[in-house]
Amino acid sequence: MTETTLGGGAQAASTSLNNPKVAAAVRIGLAWLIFGALLALAFSLHETPGRGAAASLSLLIGVALGVIFQRGRFCFFCILRDFIEHRNSSGMFAILSALAVGGIGYVIVFGAFMPNPSGQGLPPDAHIGPVSWVLVAGGGAFGLGMALSGACISGHLYRLGEGYTRAPFALFGSLLGFGVGFLTWHTLYVETISTAPIAWLPKTLGYGGSLAVHLAALSALACLLLRYLPELPAQAGGKITWQKLYQTVFVARWNPLVTGALVGLVGTFAYFRVAPLGVTSQLGSLTRTALNGAGLLADRLPGLDTFAGCATRVVHTVTNNGLLIGSLVAGSLAIALFTNRFQLSRLTLRGALTALLGGALMGWGAMVSLGCTVGTLLSGISAFALSGWVFGGAVFAGVWLGIKLRLPE
Amino acid sequence: MAFRRLVTLFALAILIVSGFAAPSLRARADLPERAVVSTEWLAARLDDPKVRVVEVSVVPGVFERGHIPGAVNFVWHTDLVDPVIRDIASPEAFQKLARAAGINNDTTVVLYGDNNNWFAAWGAWIFTIYGHEDVRLLDGGRAKWERENRPLSVRPASHPEGNFTAKPARREIRAFLPDVLAVVKGEAEGVIVDIRSPAEYEGRIFAPEGFQELAIRAGHIPTAVNVPWGRAVKEDGTFKSVEELRQLYASVGVDGSKKVYVYCRIGERSSHTWFVLSKILGYDVAQYDGSWTEWGNAVGVPIENPAGTVWGRQ
Repeated sequence: MTETTLGGGAQAASTSLNNPKVAAAVRIGLAWLIFGALLALAFSLHETPGRGAAASLSLLIGVALGVIFQRGRFCFFCILRDFIEHRNSSGMFAILSALAVGGIGYVIVFGAFMPNPSGQGLPPDAHIGPVSWVLVAGGGAFGLGMALSGACISGHLYRLGEGYTRAPFALFGSLLGFGVGFLTWHTLYVETISTAPIAWLPKTLGYGGSLAVHLAALSALACLLLRYLPELPAQAGGKITWQKLYQTVFVARWNPLVTGALVGLVGTFAYFRVAPLGVTSQLGSLTRTALNGAGLLADRLPGLDTFAGCATRVVHTVTNNGLLIGSLVAGSLAIALFTNRFQLSRLTLRGALTALLGGALMGWGAMVSLGCTVGTLLSGISAFALSGWVFGGAVFAGVWLGIKLRLPE
Repeated sequence: MAFRRLVTLFALAILIVSGFAAPSLRARADLPERAVVSTEWLAARLDDPKVRVVEVSVVPGVFERGHIPGAVNFVWHTDLVDPVIRDIASPEAFQKLARAAGINNDTTVVLYGDNNNWFAAWGAWIFTIYGHEDVRLLDGGRAKWERENRPLSVRPASHPEGNFTAKPARREIRAFLPDVLAVVKGEAEGVIVDIRSPAEYEGRIFAPEGFQELAIRAGHIPTAVNVPWGRAVKEDGTFKSVEELRQLYASVGVDGSKKVYVYCRIGERSSHTWFVLSKILGYDVAQYDGSWTEWGNAVGVPIENPAGTVWGRQ
C-alpha cells in the first residue's frame, strides 16, 4: 500500500528512479496515461468514418482482456503446466468457468441470431470449423509450441505487457509459422479439409440440449479435477474495508472462477457486438499480405476464405482484430504498471531461439486450425463446435508431450 | 393594425421557412409511393400488420447484430437463388419462405439491405416475378436508416404464417440468353443497358476491383448502352427524382418506347436498375440475370470489346 502513496516531503526533490516513491509515481502516472490514451482512442475511433462502434468496441474488449488475463494470470500454458507438472488444477477452473459462462452467453446470442438451429447454415461467423487430422496436428503443434516458447499466443500478448522479453520472439515466430501454414494450406485443403465434417451440436440437440450436454461435460471435468485443487488459505472474516477491496482487486491474483467467468462474459459481448474472440486474425493477415506482396502467395486461397474462424486477408490497414490485440498488450502493460507487476525478464539466446521456434509451431498450428487457444478453443467450445473440443484435446496432448520432453527448460 | 400585420407576416414567414427546412419529415413527393418509401414513412408504420419489412443483406451477421424492428431476414445466397441449377428460387421454395415471414397476398412488402440495396432489389424482382404486387424499396437502404440513428433490434421477429401464393413466374420481366441474342441480331426490338462500370463495359477489366474474374472475355453485349447503376442515386444513396431519372435514361435512348434489357456481372446490381426503370419509371423491363458471367463465357456469342483485352495474354 505504501508504494502507492504519492508525493513525499524532502525526497520528492530527488528525480532518480531509484527512489521508490518517484518510481511508483512514474509507474502509476504511466498507467493512467495509457488507460486515458486508450479511452481517448476508443472515442475517436467511434467518430471516424469507416470505423465506428465495432472498432472502438474491439479496442475496449482488448483492454478488458489485457486486464483480466494479467490480473487472473489467464495463461493457457501456465495453467496446463501447473496441472501437468505440479498437479495443481486451480487454473484449470478458470478455463472451465470461461467455457461454462461462454456457453450460456452463446446460447442467448444464438437464440436471437438464429432462432432455429436445425435449419440450413450455421450462425453468422461463429467459430465452428472442420474436424480432421489436420486440426489434431495443428492443435498438437500448437501445444508443443506453447511448451517451447513459454506461453500460447494470447499468453505472449498479455505477458508482453508484463515485460516478458521472449514474447516478441514468439510472436515474430508465429508470423513465420503462419507463412508456412499458408504455403501448406492448398494441399491440406484439397486433400483433407475440404471434405472434413463440420459438426455443430445444436443441429441435432437444439440449444437447450446442447447447453445441458456442455455444462454436464464441464461439470464432469471439474469433478475429476477437484482432487488436484491445492488447499485454500484460511480466509479472514470481518468487514470489507477499502484496504481489503484494494488488496483483492489490485494485489492478489484474481480467483480463477471469477477470472474465467469474466473471460466468458467478454467473449459473449464480443460475439454479440463485433465477432467471436480471436487473437490471430491480424497476425495471420500481416504474413499473408507480406507473402502476397512478395509474390509468394496467390491472392485467393481456395477454401480458406469460406470458413468462419480467425479469418486472414490481404490487408493494408489495422483491422478490428489488430485494435483488439494492440489494446490487449497496452491494457496488460497499464495494469501491470499500476500493480507493480511489470518487470523485464532476463533474456538468453537460448530463450529467444526457443521462443522463435515455439512461435513458429504455434503459427502453423493456428493457421491450419483457423485459430488458437482463444479463437478455436474458447470461442469454438463456447459455440458448441466439435472442432473446439478436438483442438483443445490436441493442445493438451502437445503441452503434455512438450513438458515430458522437458522443452520448457 | 401595423402590429397585427407584422405578427401575421412573421407567422407566415415561419410557416414558409419551416416548410422548406423540414422537407424530410414528409414522404418524398417526387417518387411514386407505390415503389419507394422513405425512412420516415417506414418508421411510422413499423407496427402496421399490413406492412412487412424484409432485409436482404449479403454480409454475414449484419442482420443478426441489429435490424429494423420487426424485419425478417432473407439470405440471398440460399433463399433467393437456387445455387445448384443456377436459377432463381423455385416458386415452392419462395412461397414457403414468404409465408414463414408472415406475408399475405395483400401485404405491403418493404425491402432494404446493405450494399446500396442491390440484393434487396433482387428480392423485389423475385417478389414481382412470382406475382406479388405491392413491393417497395426503402429509399437509401440500411445505410440511411443507420445514419439517421433510427432504432435497430436484435430480437427475432415472429409473425403468424402468411397466405402468400406464388403465381406462375412472370416470364416477361426475366430474360435468358436467347432473348438478348435476338435483340442483338435485330430479330427482336429492344434496347440493352449495361449497368457496370465504364472500365468493365469497355473491356479494360474483367470484374470490379476485389472480385474474382468469372468471365474469360472482357467487354459488353453488342449494342448495349452503358449507364452505371450508381447514376440513378444521389450521393446519400437515395433515388434521384422521377424527372432526373427519365432524363438520365432518355439521354442514351432508353425512353420506354422499346422493351429494355438490363444486365451486370451476376444480376445483383442490375436488379437496382431494373427496379428504377420498371417500378419507378414504369417501363417494360426484363432483367438478364445470367449477365456477363454467362454471356462473357458463352461459346460463339458475339461481344464488343473496345479495349481489346484478352484473358491470359500478357
